This record gives sequence, structure tokens and C-alpha cells, in this order.
Amino acid sequence: MEQQDLQCSMQAVEQSCAALHVSDPGIRSSAEATLLAFRKSPHPFYACQYILENSQVATAKFLAAATIQEAAIREWTLISPEEKSRLRSYCLQYVMARVETSEGYILSKILSVVAALLKRGWLEYTQAEKASFLEEVEQAVAGRHGLAAQRFGISLLEALVSEFSLSTASPMGLPAEFHDKCRASLEAGYLQKFYAWAFDASVMVASKALEGQGENQESAICTIAIRLMTQILNWEFRGKLAVLGKSRASTLSSSPASRKSSEQLQLWHDLLVSPAKVTWILNFYEHIHQKGNAWLDLPLSVVVRQLIVLMCSLNGSIFPTDGAGTQEQHLQRLLNCIISWIDPPEYVISAVLAGTSESEMLDGCRALLAIATLCSPSSFDQLLLSFRQTGTLSLLSSLTCGIIKASCVRESEEPSWTYEALEVLLETWTVILQPADLSQKVPLPPSGIEAASAVFQTFVEFEMKLSESSALDEDDADDMAAFSDEAREDRLSAVALIARTVPSVSLSLLTMLVSKCFSEIRQSLGSETTTRCLEQLHWLTILSGHVLADPGEGETPTVPESILAVSAEPATHPAVSLSFALIDVAQQSLDATFRTTLSPRMMEAIVWFFGRWVETYLMPDHAGRGPSSTPSGHEGQGVSVGVLFDGRNALNAAFGKDGGGPAVLEILVRVALTSLTAWRGEQVLQEYVSSRLLPALVRRRNVCVQLLSMGSWQELATVFARQDQMLLSLSDSVQRALSGCLCRSAQGLANADAANHYVKDLLMPMAASLAEFSGRKDLATFSQQPNVIHQVSCVLERLRGAARETIPRTQKAIFEVGVSIMKPLLVFMEIYKNQPSVVYLLLKYVVVWVDAEVVFLEPKDTTTVFNFCVQLLSVYSAHNIGKVSVSTSRSLQNEAQTEKYKDLRALLQLLTNLSSKDLFDFALHADENPDVAQVVYLGLNIITPLISADLLKYPKLCRQYFTLLMHMLEVYPEKVAKISPEGFSQIIGTLEFGLRQQDVEVVNMTLSALGALGVFQYQALCKGDDGLGAQSRTSGGDDVLSHFLKLLMHFLLFEDYSNDLVEPAADALLPLILCNTALFEKLKQELVQRHQDVESQERVSTAFHSLSRGIEIASTIDRSIRRKFRSNLFVFLNDLRGFLRTR
Amino acid sequence: MSDEEHHFDNKADAGASKTYPQQAGTIRKNAYIVIKQRPCKVVEVSTSKTGKHGHAKCHFVGIDIFTGKKLEDIVPSSHNCDVPEVTRTDYQLIDISEDGFVSLLTENGDTKDDLRLPTDDQLNAQISTGFHDGKDLVVTVMSALGEEQICALKDIGPK
Repeated sequence: MEQQDLQCSMQAVEQSCAALHVSDPGIRSSAEATLLAFRKSPHPFYACQYILENSQVATAKFLAAATIQEAAIREWTLISPEEKSRLRSYCLQYVMARVETSEGYILSKILSVVAALLKRGWLEYTQAEKASFLEEVEQAVAGRHGLAAQRFGISLLEALVSEFSLSTASPMGLPAEFHDKCRASLEAGYLQKFYAWAFDASVMVASKALEGQGENQESAICTIAIRLMTQILNWEFRGKLAVLGKSRASTLSSSPASRKSSEQLQLWHDLLVSPAKVTWILNFYEHIHQKGNAWLDLPLSVVVRQLIVLMCSLNGSIFPTDGAGTQEQHLQRLLNCIISWIDPPEYVISAVLAGTSESEMLDGCRALLAIATLCSPSSFDQLLLSFRQTGTLSLLSSLTCGIIKASCVRESEEPSWTYEALEVLLETWTVILQPADLSQKVPLPPSGIEAASAVFQTFVEFEMKLSESSALDEDDADDMAAFSDEAREDRLSAVALIARTVPSVSLSLLTMLVSKCFSEIRQSLGSETTTRCLEQLHWLTILSGHVLADPGEGETPTVPESILAVSAEPATHPAVSLSFALIDVAQQSLDATFRTTLSPRMMEAIVWFFGRWVETYLMPDHAGRGPSSTPSGHEGQGVSVGVLFDGRNALNAAFGKDGGGPAVLEILVRVALTSLTAWRGEQVLQEYVSSRLLPALVRRRNVCVQLLSMGSWQELATVFARQDQMLLSLSDSVQRALSGCLCRSAQGLANADAANHYVKDLLMPMAASLAEFSGRKDLATFSQQPNVIHQVSCVLERLRGAARETIPRTQKAIFEVGVSIMKPLLVFMEIYKNQPSVVYLLLKYVVVWVDAEVVFLEPKDTTTVFNFCVQLLSVYSAHNIGKVSVSTSRSLQNEAQTEKYKDLRALLQLLTNLSSKDLFDFALHADENPDVAQVVYLGLNIITPLISADLLKYPKLCRQYFTLLMHMLEVYPEKVAKISPEGFSQIIGTLEFGLRQQDVEVVNMTLSALGALGVFQYQALCKGDDGLGAQSRTSGGDDVLSHFLKLLMHFLLFEDYSNDLVEPAADALLPLILCNTALFEKLKQELVQRHQDVESQERVSTAFHSLSRGIEIASTIDRSIRRKFRSNLFVFLNDLRGFLRTR
Repeated sequence: MSDEEHHFDNKADAGASKTYPQQAGTIRKNAYIVIKQRPCKVVEVSTSKTGKHGHAKCHFVGIDIFTGKKLEDIVPSSHNCDVPEVTRTDYQLIDISEDGFVSLLTENGDTKDDLRLPTDDQLNAQISTGFHDGKDLVVTVMSALGEEQICALKDIGPK
């Protein structure tokens, strides 16, 4: 290229780079286009070099470097080997020559270009080529060519390691296999060398690096050398070498290690854990440490500490199998150094508070965590005892306490170092107390017990102070959901774990504090002190909940082992005392005068606590049975059985069925009732009652039995059934949940008759009032009154809640209630056509009701239900199709859209639920159950005009729609064929839309639907029937199925899709081909003709031949043909896709 | 609409201007509420507390159903709010007069001639063109607190 041309292209690039910062979008986009074109231009190497050498614009240079990499990889096969090596050495020389300049990021970009070039050719180079190149690098790293070269050599290695690592590799347009081979090659052959070189380099420059202020050349070299070492330790080792890295802890597989890999292991061992090497690193840091605060945050110090922390987590077969002796020594050696970062805690923390950098202390915490992950609690404790009086656990304890105290001092809200340190330390405790592998759980040594109780006490003390001081804070925005807040939850669970190791101490402390707070509240009625105490009591309640019980989340939680193991008289058992302290609070809250002193927030905590507590402690199912076998590795299992019994007996006496259980239950039901009625408008509290406490009460049958015999439960049910204004003012979700819980408690009744009777008593009054409303003469005006709308909505919500909790035992009652309101519902559907919210509730109720009942229905009842649904759908469609509503406000318009969307989803759900009926009754022949087809037909007619491409962009709706469509086409293709032409073309349009979706599941369903359509048509053709008939030719003259055949072939050969889709695509393609073999032949010819050379033509037609092998003569589509075709298609795509797509 | 007509509406159909009390905590999104004497549709509800241990209050954002203006209100959640009675009535469109008034056919055969075309351009255009094309149109009239406005239309097909 001429000098002038080069100059020109440089100017163009420079100008475009400058134009990127111009505000005018037009100029910017044309600049972007120029730059893109430059990057894509063929063979741009000389232009790039010219820019690199002559340009003054940094971005232009950076772009030139990136272009070299992109172009070289793109044109790799076209470039001669000489050119490749010329490019590589050009880059290296460029960097060497400019290593002193300040444009570091351009140089490191060029180094990564070199790394990428090397990797691209890695599998092509001979061993000797690689060796000679790397030898040069080694020379440089060893410092033979001066400091600049040394620095650049290490940087090159860094670039190489990151390029070869899978997660940071740059894209090359090559299969994953290539990347993996490169990775494996580097891992097996070179990483070790790199590590050794880096280590030697840092040793070499270390003493100079420590001179001065840490800003000299040597210090920089040392930093990157050690950074390279940490990078290598972070490498994701695979296979036999999967021995390094954070707590991965995988050991060698049992197969005898090959000689080579065991040699490698030995080498790694020497490099990483041999005393000399480790001691050198630790001593090196010791020197830095002594330099004082100014050095702590230098890059060099940070990176050395990182390396040390990483070394703490070395594990696995890198240590010889000598009963962990070597590993213990290794950890001791490390801990000996790390200890100076965190010990003595008071001194270190006060230094940090006074302004010393906290980074060293934080790294110390992280190292403790890493070590704790690898040790059993007692060996963790022992580590420090070898050279000190106290064990590691007491150090951990005093460090944790110190941090907790320090967070008191600091006022700022944002996550501070104390926060972070506490996170890490609590995680350390968790790891010690609850290892991931429960079989490795061993009891704490005695010193640990002490340590844990100190931490718990300090934590409680600190939080009490915090609650006291924050009680009067006004900003409550993020406190609202305080105990659903994940971070807080994690912290409390960790603290609860600590508390459970010392149950006697922790539970007594909590009991004492709860009683103290509560008596203070009672004495100081209505002052600021009350608020302070309330906040403290609130916090104590939440913590007690965490310590005493685990969240159930669908499983039945059991009493924590350590609490069970406390042996005491029923009256003095710490868990019993704490529970009763809180039951006392709950009981007092029932008092109307005292209630005014309490706050909604306090009640929320109480209700939350009992929601959790009930499942674990109240009238447990297993009362009287011995302890079930636990997976724990309790050493003295035989001894502890008797002890376990003791705790259980105490708890049973206090809360069992024959003990104090019923009395406690009575209080809790009263608390629930009062919370719902006496705390008007406190929605959060009411949500907690209806979604936590009540569900917990009705979850177990034996509790339900008790509930139903109680006056308070009867009272709740009566107030509910009477539609008392008290309960009508609850919000909608509370209505649903409350109604569901009341119905669910029917499981406690002895037989189905009683249960049905109970549910009917509960729901019939409401059904009756709906019927009464619908029969009024002045319905038209009466129904539009807001209070009536409110009541109707409430009743619908309650019925829906009840239907959702249908159990076999109450199914009949729920069904009868539903039948009794069918007529009223139709009336309401009509009368409330202009109240979309009521229409939606109505639809939702029917959806849930049908879903709950459909499995149980007898043919006679099925007819009733289906007729009702048909009527409902016709009323709905009469009022909602073709109506245009426009509002002045955009947001109101959007709301209206959302309402339509929700209605549509409800309708789709309803149809899917209905059509699932024949899945349950598949034994019946379709002819005996004609209603399903009728409903489906009508449903499709209603739904299809409402569905639009815009609406299908909502993923939930999209899935539901295609689920329904697939089902209908599979089961009732003949019905679908009879739908109106507009409806049919709408369905076809959505099928095409579905094929282009990203969601694999949607595409899958679309393919199934297509297949069903194809099979239907093919069978009709075979029988000589009309099949789709005129429908199939509606879309622009072209046969619909041929259209899909073309579309599907194109999709399979030329588009991106998941491999999981090949099978469903095969099932869809087969009938389409069989329907129109002529077209298939034509498509084949088209593809063959695309190629000029005979060989390629041959290849394509052979592939097509193999695709249709064995299926030409198929007259029916049975399973064996399908299977055959599936495997044919796999072969076909394997042969052809890669070949056709690369063109 | 002028004030005079307002007055007229109130007299003619006093029942339509009724409001009902409902506890603030139970009013949810998409319901109606009266804010500053205007009927609104609630588009946003949030609850908060007065201090940590105080009582809950509701913050409503409503859109005036006639003017589309945004209005806000904060009410303790145990207190009552006014909920307007919002009705929608369908009428067949008979005529559009020169001055923008429409003539509607009521259920009992009378005509209702006191309503203008809606202020919304799109709906306005749809009504006018639909009417001039000779389509049979049914319009929905929304009324609340004595005010009325056409809010939707539906083509019930040619005769």
C-alpha cells in the first residue's frame, strides 16, 4: 500500500474516533459505520501498523490493535505462516519499544492480541516452535533483558493465561472443542512453569521492591508477578489436577494416577506448599506489614494478601495422604502470619477506627473463612493452640465481638467495613457449625461453646442498643419488609445457629430480655420509652423465632437437635420458658385497653413468630415416639438418646395435645381473630395472619381436629359466614386466604359428610346472598352501587379462596356451592359488563373452581359445568368483542389494556382446564363427551379475535395460548378446521409467530401443533376426506401446509435453534412432507441446484435421500416411522447443516 | 359542559351523584375513589406507616376519569374514603348535530340530547366517520358525581 493511502486511512480512522464523542447522532452513527467498515476490511494489517506507529490518537491505536486481532482470526486460513509470525513479532517488538510510555492499556491490548494469535495457532505449532518462543519469554521474565522486558514478559504470560482460560477467552468462531484443547494443553504443560517463573521473578526483585515508597519499577514487576500467581491459582483446573482453588475440595479420583500426573502433583506441591516457598511469601508480606499503614493499600500488598488467602484454601490431593498432617502444618504456617493482621482484635479494630486501612483486617477474616472451610471445628481450634495459649475459636469469637461493638460506633448506614467483616465472620461460624456435608458435623470443643456464647451475648447487646436508638426513626421505607429482607434474614439465621450451640445460655438470655422489655412496656404506658421497648421487643421476637424454629417452607420442621438435647423439667426448660414469655405477650394483646399500647409492627412480629413456632412446637404429630434417626455423626449416639427424650418430654408436656397445647391454640386463634378485626386497616398485619399464622394452624390434621372443637374457631367461622362488616373490610388477598384456611380446617372432621356439611354452612350464606342480589327487581341500579360491588367482589374472592383449598373430602360441598351460584354469576357477568374488575374476579373464580373440580366430575355434572362455561363465554364475548374504548388519559388506557390482558389469560386458563377433562377421562370415547369439543370450539372462536401479536409478547400469555392451541389441534383438529376462515388464518398466523419465538418451550408447542395439523390432513388425504378443505387455501392462494413445509425446512437448515427442538421438528416435518411430496422434491432440487460443483450436488442429494429413506411408502404415521424419521433427520442435519450454513 | 348543564344533570338524576364510604385499606388498584371532589380511578396504592410503631396509611394516585388529570391523596388506612358510583349506560346513536351535540336513543324510547361528542380526538373521529358511513353505533356513556361523558363505542353491524 502506498504511503499516501496509509496516511488517508489513518486520518479517516482518527476523525471517526473523534466524531464518536460528537453529540449529533447522525455524525456519530456515520463515524461508527466507518470504523466498523475499517474493522471488517480485508487484510488491514499494514494500515493498522501505520496507525499504531504514527497516530497521536489513543483510541485510534486501540482500534487498530483490535482490528489486527479480529482480521487475523477472520483471515487465519488465508494468511501465510510467515505473515502470522511477522505479525506476532511485530506486536512484540512494538510493545518492547514502548514499554516505558504511559499508554498502558494500548500495550496490554496488543499483548492480548499476541495471546489470541498464539492461541489461534496453538494446535498447529510444533512442540519446538512453542518451546523456542516460550524460552524467549522465560529469558525476559527472568530479567535477562532488563526490567522493562521482565515486566512485559510477565504481562504477556498474564494475557496468555487469561486468553486460554475458558471464561475469559476471546471469541474465535471456533468450536468449543478447540478452546478446551488449548486450555488442557496449557494446564498440563505450561501453567506450572509460568508459576515458577513468576515466583522466581518476584524473589529476584523483592528486596528492591521494598525500598522506597513502593512506586518503583521493581515493585510494579513484583506486583504483576504475584498477580499472575494468583491468576494461576484461580485457574479452573480440571481432571486429575482439580486440586486447587476455593473450597472445591475435590480429591483425586480412585483410578490409579498416571505417572505423569503424579509427577505433576509433586511439582505443584513443591511450588505451592513446600515450607520454603510459603515461608518466603509470608516473610515478604511481613516486611510489607512492618512498613505501616501507608503500604497496606498498595497494589503490591493487596495482591500478596490475595495470594496468601488463596493459599489458605488449597486442598485435596496436592497434600500427601498422611492424615492431613502436612495440610495442618501448612495452615499453621499461614495462620502464624495472618494472625498479625487480626490479633489482638481490640487493638486492630481500634486502629482501624482511628484511621488505619481496614483491608488487611478484612483479608484476615477471609483467610479465617477459607481455613474454617477446610477444617473440623476442633482442628480449626487446634491450629492456633500449637503456638499460643488460646485456640482459634476464641480468637474468632473475640474478633467477632470486637467487630459487632465497632459497628455500634459507626453510624453510617451504607455497607461499611464492619458490615463486610461481620458477614465474613458469621459465614465462618456457619461453616464451622453447619458444614455443607452434614455427616461431617461434629460437636464444638468446650472452648468453642464459650466462644459462641460470648458472640451471641455481644450480638444481642448490640442489637438491643441499636433498636433502642432507631425506634423513633421516621424513615421506615426499608424497614417495612425488615424480616423478609434477605440480608437480614441471613444474618439472623447465622446468629441463630450460634445461639443453638449454647441453647441454655441463649434461650435464657432471650427469655429474660423479653420479660424485662414487656414489663417495662406495661409500666410506661404511652411514652417514648414504650416505643423504644416495643422496638426492642420486636427485635427479640424475631430473633427468638429464628433461634427456636426453622422455616417450614413446605416441609415439616423439627425442633433443633441442640434444643431437644437440653434436659430439664417441663416448667424450666429454656425453650418452654421463652415460648411462654412470648405467649404471654400474645395473650395480653387480646386486652382491649392494653392493645392501644402495642403497635401494629409489634403485632406483626408476634404473628410472624407464632406462624413459625406453631409448625415446630404445637401438638407435634410424633408425640410419644422416640427420636427418629438423625444423619448427624453424634459420637455418643447411644448415650444421647436418653437425653433427647428429656427435652422432648418437657416440650410435649408444655405444648402437646394432652399438655398445654389446646390452651395455647385457643390464645392463638383469638390473636388471629383480634388482629383481623381490631386492627382496622393494618394490612401487613392481616396479611401475616392470613398467610402465615392461619395456614400454619390448619396445616396438620390433628391441630384441625382440636381447632374445630374450639369456641373461638367457631366464632371466627360464624363471623365469616355471616358476612360481618368487620371481616368484609379486609383486603382481597386476605379474604381469599382466610376463606381457604377455614375450608381447609374441614380436614379435621371425622368423615366426608361432616366436612361437606361444615363447608356448606360456611359458604352457602354467601352464595345465597349472591342469589338474592341477582334476583332483585332494581338490580340494574342496585348492582352499580359501590358498596354492592364491594360485597360481590368480596364474596367472589372468598369463594375463589375456598375453591383453591378444595380437598377430596370437601369437593362435593364446593361443587354444590358453585352450582348454586351459576345463574347469579351469569346475571352478574351481564350486569357488570362495564365493571372490568368484577368480571375479572368472576372469571378467576370460575377458573379456580373448574380446576379444582374437573378431576372429580361425573358425566352428568360435567355437562352442567360445561353448559355453564359455554353460557359464560358467550356472555363475555357478547360484551367484549369489537368494543373500542378510548380514554383521555394514556395511563387509564394502559390500565384498560392490562385488564383485557388479564381477562384473556383467565379465559385461556379456563379453556385449558376444561379441555384437560378428557385427559382424565381418556377411557371415554370422545363422542360420549361432546361438550368438551363444543366448549373448545366456542372458546377458540372467542379467543382468536382477541389474540394479537402484541399480546403474545407477554411470555405467560404466550405459553398459555400455545399450550391451549397445541392441545386443541392434537385432540380436536376437526373442530379447528371448522372454525371461521378469519379465525383459522389467525391461528395459522400465530403458529408462524410461535415458530419464531425465542422460548424453546413455545417453539416446541408450536411444532407439536403443526405436527398435529399435518397428521390430521394426511389422514384425511389417505381416507379421501376433505381434511382442512377450503381452509388450507385461504392464505394468499398458497397451501397452508406447503407454506409451513418450506418454513420448517428453512428453519432447520439455516437458523439457530436448540438441539432439543430437532425431535419435535422431526415429528412436525414428517406429516408435512407426506402431505406434499411433490413440493418436498422441489425444495430438494432447489437446494441441489444452488451448488455448482458435482461433488457438492452429490452430497446434498445423498443427504436428502437418506432423510426420506424408509418413509416413502408409509401409509400411516405410526411410532416406528416417527422414530425412523427422527434419526434420519439427525443424520441429515449433521451432514448438511454445517455444510450449507457456512456458505 | 357548562355549569348550567351540570346543575340540570344533578337534578335529573340525583342518584347518580351518590358516593359511598369505604375503608381506605380495602380500596385497591383500578377501583374508583373521590379525590378533591373528583371521581378518579386508582392507578397506584402504596401503604406506609407513621413512624416505626405508628399506624398504616394509604397513599393513592388517581386519574380523574373525565379529565385524565392526576390527583393524589394520603389517608389513614382505617379511615373511610368516598367511593363514587360510576355507571356506564349504552345508547344507540341517532344523530350528530352541527354544533357537536349527539342525539341518543334511551331504552324506553326517549331521546337524550344533552351530550356533546367526546373531547378525545380518536374516539370523536371514530364516531363521526362511523356515523357518516351509516354504521349502527352503540355508545357507552360513563357518569359519576353528576357528570357524563361518552367513553366507548361499539359497531353493532349494518341493518
